[in-house]
Amino acid sequence: MRRLPVYLLLDTSGSMSGEPIEAVKNGVQVMISSLRQNPQAIETAFISVITFDTSANQIIPLTDLASFQMVDIKATGVTALGDALKLVATKIDSEVQKTTPDQKGDWKPLVFIMTDGIPTDNWQNGLVEFKKRKTAFVVACAAGAGADTSILKQITDNVVSLDTADSTSIAKFFQWVTASIGVSSTKVEDSGKEVQGLNELPPPPSELNIVV
Amino acid sequence: MSETKQYIQTLLAQKNISLIKGRETVFEEFTKDESNILAVKQIQENQKMMLDKWILQNRISDIIDTQIIIPNSTVGKPYLAAIDFSRLGMNDLSYTEFESLDQYGLEYNNETESITGTPTKSGDFKIKMKFRVNGENEDSDLHEKLISLIINADPKSLWKDIPSDADRDEDWKLKNFWKPDNVTDFQPLGEKHIVVSSKRGRSHANVGSFRDDDFAFKELEGTGWSIVSVADGAGSASLARLGSKLACEFVVKHFEENFRGETILQLDDLIASNHQSQDETKQKDLDLFLYNSIGKAAFSIHKSLQDYADRLEVPLKDLHTTLIFVLLKKYSFGYAILSFGVGDCPIGLLNKDMTEIKLMNWLDVGEFGGGTRFITMPEIFSSSKFATRLGFKVIEDFSYLMLMTDGIYDPKFVVEANLEKLESWTKFLNDLYGENESHNVVQLIAKNVELPKQLSEWMDFWSSGNHDDRTLAIVF
Repeated sequence: MRRLPVYLLLDTSGSMSGEPIEAVKNGVQVMISSLRQNPQAIETAFISVITFDTSANQIIPLTDLASFQMVDIKATGVTALGDALKLVATKIDSEVQKTTPDQKGDWKPLVFIMTDGIPTDNWQNGLVEFKKRKTAFVVACAAGAGADTSILKQITDNVVSLDTADSTSIAKFFQWVTASIGVSSTKVEDSGKEVQGLNELPPPPSELNIVV
Repeated sequence: MSETKQYIQTLLAQKNISLIKGRETVFEEFTKDESNILAVKQIQENQKMMLDKWILQNRISDIIDTQIIIPNSTVGKPYLAAIDFSRLGMNDLSYTEFESLDQYGLEYNNETESITGTPTKSGDFKIKMKFRVNGENEDSDLHEKLISLIINADPKSLWKDIPSDADRDEDWKLKNFWKPDNVTDFQPLGEKHIVVSSKRGRSHANVGSFRDDDFAFKELEGTGWSIVSVADGAGSASLARLGSKLACEFVVKHFEENFRGETILQLDDLIASNHQSQDETKQKDLDLFLYNSIGKAAFSIHKSLQDYADRLEVPLKDLHTTLIFVLLKKYSFGYAILSFGVGDCPIGLLNKDMTEIKLMNWLDVGEFGGGTRFITMPEIFSSSKFATRLGFKVIEDFSYLMLMTDGIYDPKFVVEANLEKLESWTKFLNDLYGENESHNVVQLIAKNVELPKQLSEWMDFWSSGNHDDRTLAIVF
């Protein structure tokens, strides 16, 4: 069976504390429950959560939806986005299977990044590593005015922004991520093709501004 | 110093009342007063009681706040979650029970300290654990702790089966290149028989979309040759269902028109003389012939698809489809089998006593999933690998010649390497013979009138994550 790996890179720096971090936790929960109702997603999508604050941690390794359980996350420290990019690169190497004569390869991973601030580490180094890995698409979300969309634009063409990092906006972002994973898993199962970019994903809700 | 005296002294000190000089005797008397001794004793007992109560209360809150994680379950799947209380540091529980687990089809076993059963309904639930800790009265109220319980739906129940032509008329069908969701056929083919089943996958059924697979077969009259073709339209192509259908039809049409007269006489000669004795020149002549006839056929199918796309005024990629086909003919010395393949659909040839498998084609598979090739891609014809897409084999007789789409190959063979292993094919055949979860038996014998129905039922096998259209053609 070909798995559809999904990596969520979530900013858990101090500035996310309070409403934003609660909204992120809730967003992931609701996303998982909803994807569990999608027959294609529950059989193909595998989700991993990587959080980054002063350093990056893979708090949930690539896990199938049926056994996925969200763990508690706390907001503290600074914004090591570069470390997160480096970590996801190594996780793609170790967790995503390539097709060989003896094993069926996974679909190319989807990567969603959400941050409310400016990286405090040497993010370009992480980006160099990350860019070497094959992905179906990467979406970066700048949550609130504190995030620098121009940096995110260097990571991926697909950048969306939220005017404020409040619970409603964050919930909308996760709803859209949910729909995007749903569409991607349907597409790989139906057509044997990956979604390539933002234009093939469901239209983002009005709370999400597409950064051009 | 008496305990009472010490207590009163401390109390006075706390209240900043100092003992005036000369009152020592009065104070001494005061501390020996029966009622004061009793009062101090009561105060101390009450304090101890309150302290104990607080410690207990604190402990209960600790237990309530400690997260107990139990694995997720699935409707219809037997479930067992042992709760390791000692690992959770909860050895002091004197009593535990779970409230109303039966509404989910589960129960709590006090002996094994585990939740067991077969879940009956799906959802994200909070179950209530009721408990008492050591030190509490046996008749005291139970405390409550919530634990998350996730019950996944049975994946099978999540799939819908919506007909692709639901509430549609003939006109709509024509305009939309509709074709039946499931097709089965069973016919003689030369001295052999062919049974084919082509089924719409669950991923298409779930949304009421079309079957993208297709097939065609034909005995080419008066030539001794028969042709079988299978195609899998690319799901991403908007007219994939049409592409696969046309590709199969064009194969048959091309050979009907071109495989006759001088051509087949020449081919008969080449095959016969190659069989008698092999040398390099003869082999070269045959290769050249195959390249020119079969290779040309493939290109002509590509061209016909291009013409069709032009007529419809759509890009050729809208008709993207893989294509495999075989031509077979019986000679006095055995069967000659010619093949062509582009894409990820295998053609397997099993010899008479099923001791050898010959994979007639190689598969176009990418490094990651989904990297296949289509007959509708012009670049395949200019590739240096083009000639290797042709296959040729003379075999004394064969038991089965099978053509299948990836909807069968993915779940049953998993990877390309297995297609060349005899044991994979043996397993596959045993699966067809009835060694499967649903105990569906396919009796591959010519006089079996139930065969189409049997194959069609077998094709409904469940395989997690494999819900593509399925087509399997067996010549036997």
